[in-house]
Amino acid sequence: MTQPFLSINGIRKNYGNVTAVKNVSMDIAQGEFMTFLGPSGSGKSTTLYILAGFQDPSGGDILLNGQSLLSTPSHKRNIGMVFQRYTLFPHLTVGENVAFPLRIRRRPQAEIAERVKAALKLVRLEGFEDRMPALMSGGQQQRVALARALVYNPPVLLMDEPLSALDKKLREEIQFEIRRIHQETGVTILYVTHDQEEALRLSDRIAVFSQGEIDQIGTGPELYSNPATRFVAGFIGDSNFLDATVVTSNAGKAKLALGDGAVVEGVPLHGPSAASSRASLMLRPERLSLSRVSVPSGIAVTVRDITFLGNNVEVSTATPAGVDLAVRLPFGHEAISSLARGEQAWLTFDTASAHAFA
Amino acid sequence: MLLDFDKLGGVRTLLIALVALVCLFLILPIVFIAALSFGSSQWLIFPPPSWTFKWYQDLFADPRWLYSALTSLKIAAIVTVLSVVIGFLAALGLDRGRFAGRDLLRALFLTPMILPVVVLAVALYALFLKLGLAGTTIAFVIAHLLIALPFSIISIGNALEGFDRSIEDAAILCGANPWEARLRVTVPAISHGIFGAAVFSFLASWDEVVLAIFMASPTLQTLPVKIWTTLRQDLTPVIAAASTLLIAFTILLMIVAALFRKGRKA
Amino acid sequence: MAVTVVTGAVKTKRGATLGYLLPALLLIALFFIVPVLMLLMRSVLEPEVGLQNYKALLGSTTYLRVFLNTFLVAGVVTLVSIVVGYPVAWLLAIMPQKWSRIVLAIIILSMWTNLLARTYAWMVLLQRTGVINKTLMGLGLIDTPLALVNNLVGVTIGMTYIMLPFVILPLMGVIRTIDPAILRAAALCGAGKMQCFLRVLLPLSLPGIAAGALMVFVMSLGYFVTPALLGGTSNMMLAELVAQFVQSLVNWGMGGAAALVLLVVTLALYAVQLRYFNPARGT
Ligand SMILES: Nc1ncnc2c1ncn2[C@@H]1O[C@H](COP(=O)(O)OP(=O)(O)O)[C@@H](O)[C@H]1O
Ligand SMILES: [Mg+2]
Repeated sequence: MTQPFLSINGIRKNYGNVTAVKNVSMDIAQGEFMTFLGPSGSGKSTTLYILAGFQDPSGGDILLNGQSLLSTPSHKRNIGMVFQRYTLFPHLTVGENVAFPLRIRRRPQAEIAERVKAALKLVRLEGFEDRMPALMSGGQQQRVALARALVYNPPVLLMDEPLSALDKKLREEIQFEIRRIHQETGVTILYVTHDQEEALRLSDRIAVFSQGEIDQIGTGPELYSNPATRFVAGFIGDSNFLDATVVTSNAGKAKLALGDGAVVEGVPLHGPSAASSRASLMLRPERLSLSRVSVPSGIAVTVRDITFLGNNVEVSTATPAGVDLAVRLPFGHEAISSLARGEQAWLTFDTASAHAFA
Repeated sequence: MLLDFDKLGGVRTLLIALVALVCLFLILPIVFIAALSFGSSQWLIFPPPSWTFKWYQDLFADPRWLYSALTSLKIAAIVTVLSVVIGFLAALGLDRGRFAGRDLLRALFLTPMILPVVVLAVALYALFLKLGLAGTTIAFVIAHLLIALPFSIISIGNALEGFDRSIEDAAILCGANPWEARLRVTVPAISHGIFGAAVFSFLASWDEVVLAIFMASPTLQTLPVKIWTTLRQDLTPVIAAASTLLIAFTILLMIVAALFRKGRKA
Repeated sequence: MAVTVVTGAVKTKRGATLGYLLPALLLIALFFIVPVLMLLMRSVLEPEVGLQNYKALLGSTTYLRVFLNTFLVAGVVTLVSIVVGYPVAWLLAIMPQKWSRIVLAIIILSMWTNLLARTYAWMVLLQRTGVINKTLMGLGLIDTPLALVNNLVGVTIGMTYIMLPFVILPLMGVIRTIDPAILRAAALCGAGKMQCFLRVLLPLSLPGIAAGALMVFVMSLGYFVTPALLGGTSNMMLAELVAQFVQSLVNWGMGGAAALVLLVVTLALYAVQLRYFNPARGT
């Protein structure tokens, strides 16, 4: 087996008796775009700061090309970083900001000028050298920060929610730029976000953080179609959850009894699986079919609301027990023509595409 | 309506009249002193019978005035440098440190500013007598530094509070070691706070009277001590001349500060 | 807010931080705490161990006069500063900027002008043959010159002059934070000008007034220069008493005792200020 490019081995971080990061491990390939995705407070930034050397881990190690980074101080790690807030040096022009890392490294003047120019070109800000940061928009500032972080060709680029202060439209524009820059430079990127859409759009792989631990690492489609935990299932994409009881389980497939007597078979089950234990059945809204006549093993529901969402229509329904289930159907689907609130309906699904979590 | 200038009605006239009076009250003594310094009357008769530069000539003819001004300048310069450096370090420690009793420590650093100076002056005088430092430049510097330091800690502390620490972190990741990052990035970014600290420290030392009276010796006097001892004898117009120069100096300082503020905005 | 934004990520180890604080800490400890404590010790050690200095200080009418003078002057200065300063701060807070700039420049000029220069001006202005007496006599308001200097009147005038800016500037800040819409609403509710002032504006600015008053009172209590120059020898204030014990009488025991009294009163009022009017804690 070849040695991984960047390896995070069992990182832990305690603040007094608060555990910010519990046990984080992963291998990252050179040139990979890896995103840490998770809700606020799940330990993403802490992990990133440990990589940057701003925090010492309470345990574990970080290896770059097989060498531990931990004893190297931040300023000698040669890592690039773009922060959540705008961190341009306010007293320096854009050009001087980007030149800063090279000045620190005492590069010759001609080389500095050339590389600054190239870096600004990379982020499409040619000709902005003499601008002061305060006179630039947030999006421009973050692009300058990106140029500054890349100008010294760091092997790894860290980005901690760099777009969270921007509005949606600008955010999408810069996401596109970041993808392009990743492809052009081939730099390895570790990206932190709490926005699943952003993560899906940018990443090669995503590590889903929850309460200081990684629940699952995988590509976007893997996480979506094969979530390892209920948390991942709920965090990536829209989902419905239905309480169920395990009747039998065999080789990761379970037979489940739903509340109103319906029984479904062959559902992939994650987690410990004793018979008659409780489980949570996850159903994607777009994987549900809606029938207006009674079907065996269908879930009986009442239509609550119908919302037009452009190319989709979302039908909000509720089981007699009061559990809400959303169904998403393409616009113009025959099942919903003249469907009215209060109507009775039955929901069915392909059991192999559903997931149950014990 | 009471906070809308255009809708105050009759109250407005009343308030404007009062403000005009207060402005006169505040400015008149200053104008008056400046005028008297050019008046020929030894007894400070106003309006003066005629005009003269005599008091300024007297002032510059007496080397003790010039010498005390130079002493003041020297002490204030040393105090300013020490106050800014020590104040920067202390403000940094207070800003960055996460330890119990931080607020208490900040309050302790600021107490020399709020305690009656005379208590500090007497206490230091006693100590310096014991240490054999009474009447030395060191005694002056230490005493003035004690009351200048709170200004530095407040001014630089406020600036640091408004400074996003991630900017310094960014400089460190760019390859600068922590002190390099502070000197090349943090210090320029909070230069307004440092400038404020320097101005207030300088003024605190330059204008200090009470501590100076106790620190002074017959051979080592600052300008305020010289004015004080002269004032206790008589109200000679020479003091008016000295005061006028001090007022001119103040105005100069205000203009510099205003220009600095304007430059920072642009 | 539920979100914890992790700021300042660089590890500042505890030792390093304390290192930054060390120079200031040493200065304060060696040249502030130690000498003040030594002075206070002398008040119970000299000329012999015991509380005789405090008995002498608090038991004699001469010294009680000094305490009375001090509190009286500080009280009057505070009152006048607030009563005069509040309307000025009020107008300053709402007046067009081109005018308020000029007023502010005047206030700052008077504040930054050397203390002795200002006090000297008042000594000249207030003297028997000074401009004020001459003007009043010229107007026929008085026949003989008033004694305006070398007494508590002179001290009060001189100190009010010094303290006014310290009231006006913070009060202006407080009044600026009051939303004018609140007063418009009060007027629409039917409140007249007087009612608006008494029931809305004044109560809203009360925390600022109280904080300013306390600050001026504390500063006035320990003032030395102005009372020494504008006051008479028979009407001493506490700070002068401390200085006199040490300088002219070389009585360190009594000097320490008087300093302690001044210190305790100041610190007690300062504690009140921190407890009730700490701007950092908000209202
Ligand atoms: N300096 C600190 N002191 C104490 N707790 C901290 C500190 N930094 C982070 N934490 C805690 O660690 C947890 C993880 O924080 P963080 O890594 O910032 O999460 P995320 O970036 O995913 O939002 C949070 O619960 C946070 O409150
Ligand atoms: Mg974070």
